[in-house]
Amino acid sequence: MKKIILFFILTLTSSTIHSQIFDGLSIGLESNSAWYNDDKKTGAFNDEINNDKDKHLRLNNYLKLDYNFLSKFTASVQIESYEPFALLNYSPNLKGTNLGTYSLTYRTTKINATVGHFYEQFGSGMILRNWEDRQLGINNALFGGKINYRLLDVADLTAVYGNQRVGYETSDGVIFGFNSEFELDSIFEWNNTALSIGLSYVGREQKVNLDAPNFEALTNAYSGRLAFSHGKFYSSAEYVSKSNDAIVQANQISNQFIKPGSGFLFNAGYSQKGLGIDATFRRLENMSFYSDRETSGNVFFENVVNYTPGLTKQHDYLLTNIFVYQAQSSVSFLDPGLLKAGEIGGQLDLFYNIKKETVLGGKYGAKIAFNASYWAGLKGDFDYANQDYNTEAFGFGDKYFSDISLEVRKKWSSKWRSIFYFVNQYYNKKYIEGNFGAKPIVTNIGVIESTHKLRNGKSIRIEAQKLWSDSKDHNWVGGTFEFNFNSKFSLYINDIYNSGDDSSTDKTHYYNAGGSFTKGATRVGLNYGRQRAGLLCVGGVCRFVPEATGLTASVTMAF
Amino acid sequence: MLKKLIIFLLIIGFFSGAQELPSASLRDLDGSVVELNKISKKNITVLSFWATWCVPCINELDAIAEVYDEWKDETGVNLIAIATDDTRTKKRIRPLVNGKGWEYLVLYDDNQNLKRALNITTLPHTLVLKNNKIIHRRTGYTPGIEDELFEIIKENSN
Repeated sequence: MKKIILFFILTLTSSTIHSQIFDGLSIGLESNSAWYNDDKKTGAFNDEINNDKDKHLRLNNYLKLDYNFLSKFTASVQIESYEPFALLNYSPNLKGTNLGTYSLTYRTTKINATVGHFYEQFGSGMILRNWEDRQLGINNALFGGKINYRLLDVADLTAVYGNQRVGYETSDGVIFGFNSEFELDSIFEWNNTALSIGLSYVGREQKVNLDAPNFEALTNAYSGRLAFSHGKFYSSAEYVSKSNDAIVQANQISNQFIKPGSGFLFNAGYSQKGLGIDATFRRLENMSFYSDRETSGNVFFENVVNYTPGLTKQHDYLLTNIFVYQAQSSVSFLDPGLLKAGEIGGQLDLFYNIKKETVLGGKYGAKIAFNASYWAGLKGDFDYANQDYNTEAFGFGDKYFSDISLEVRKKWSSKWRSIFYFVNQYYNKKYIEGNFGAKPIVTNIGVIESTHKLRNGKSIRIEAQKLWSDSKDHNWVGGTFEFNFNSKFSLYINDIYNSGDDSSTDKTHYYNAGGSFTKGATRVGLNYGRQRAGLLCVGGVCRFVPEATGLTASVTMAF
Repeated sequence: MLKKLIIFLLIIGFFSGAQELPSASLRDLDGSVVELNKISKKNITVLSFWATWCVPCINELDAIAEVYDEWKDETGVNLIAIATDDTRTKKRIRPLVNGKGWEYLVLYDDNQNLKRALNITTLPHTLVLKNNKIIHRRTGYTPGIEDELFEIIKENSN
């Protein structure tokens, strides 16, 4: 296959070396590599996923080519390489060099059709989402066909069919779906009001290898959506219903524990210049949805059909990302002391701009962002002996997590600006991580960040962080120093340190030093340091990364 | 084999002319469909790919917001902020944009389709367009970089 692509490109170049032929070509290259070394403090290098202790150098490479031709077509290929193994804690299915995705798309203003690998999302993704995240090692593209039709400028209709990408292979189960979105305001020609409704269906069919299964090979999911906005007010709601299916725990399909699933998402907000308020409520019950049943809950997010991210604020600082909430969408009945069927909760955001030349705002004004979130288990009757449960529609069970944060951005002068950040978190490790002995922990985190602009494009950025907790295990401090020489070069150093008693992290400096060079759309980054074991989160989805020490390099280019 | 291919492509990338912006229809915050090629046809257009969780992106857009009126008066430039948030943080876009009082047209890159088509991997990522051709692109933000961007805009505006 690679030879074919090369041949194709060579033919193009030899036939006519005219720059216009390449005007339609977009190239993206990303390379992430690491040299993991043994660490006196934290132990020798060990890759548990690939059962390897010797291959210290790892490379993840991605080369993507998109070629637009004849004004309506796009051919796209992505070659991936994980040599000799992938970076730590990527799926073992990602190994070697191969063609990752390829597709051909035809697009007009009315029709958009793709064969090959494609990425689709229905509504918020609670029923279907295909996406790629290289940092997390997620690529659950569908391999098959998709067609989208824009009807009379008032409706979008989409149909998809395919198997999901898993490593360089595809899933057992087949996914097919239909999505529709109607813009009612366009139909009624309203000007100040927007109203749209959406209806979706997603089917997952996977053969069942049981003698007398109590559930169907085909699982149906339906969703209905409504979005409304009028002037400064907006609101949306989405409901998903998933048909009866076997509960899967620890890769075991249970023929006696058959349940439907549901999801409800509601959002409302108000915003005007200088002020924004937004509130979200969500309830998930048994909403784990995978193209292959037995892969339910796998840590690599392979075969995942839908997207149910943790709806909390994504924090930006090292110490604010130690206790991170992950959405609890699935049923867990592995132990009578730990019974879960989903989650319920919400979050509130507030943005406010304090005007210039006021008492609080001073000469330059200030910007405030407030966020609060609360998540709990579902309330209901849980019957461990008979492996069954009944939940209340809007009942809150055990508290899983809460987070309150306040951010103030203040400009002091044309040269100085600062950010003040405070976070209060409650993290119930027992339920979130399924860890029995663990007690809930309450933390308070304060961060001060200042940027000072010097002459000739130079600037300095300093961060000071502190985490206090009600547990003797966690008491962290941290800091960052960054120096930007100009728009191209920058260097940084950071360190976090736990003076508490937590056996896995205490008395260890997690330091990192590195730099980056950026020119145009090319960025080269180099880092040496020790990485804390923990969750790496992108878009509310988190991947566990083990403790490791080493040199990492990343190169990204786009043409 | 793969190495040769990469080197070869880099050479092509280096010598090829200005890249055409692929056709794409995005939705604004009210859900109306916007054909990107149509609105970026006139004047110089800057596409700034950002996300609500990306601190340097917000720093950049905040910094430009302070001088945006002057930019427009001098060059007629039009900045479009393309939000690449997934649905987890999508709801924060509107209150954040209004709360900050940004005057940019904000478009939503549904499931990051345009970001993927343009092979954008790191944020912030900024494209400068003239006649729908990409005449400049860069990634990252450090304080003061907006002045360099404005130089490029001035050089290319008539």
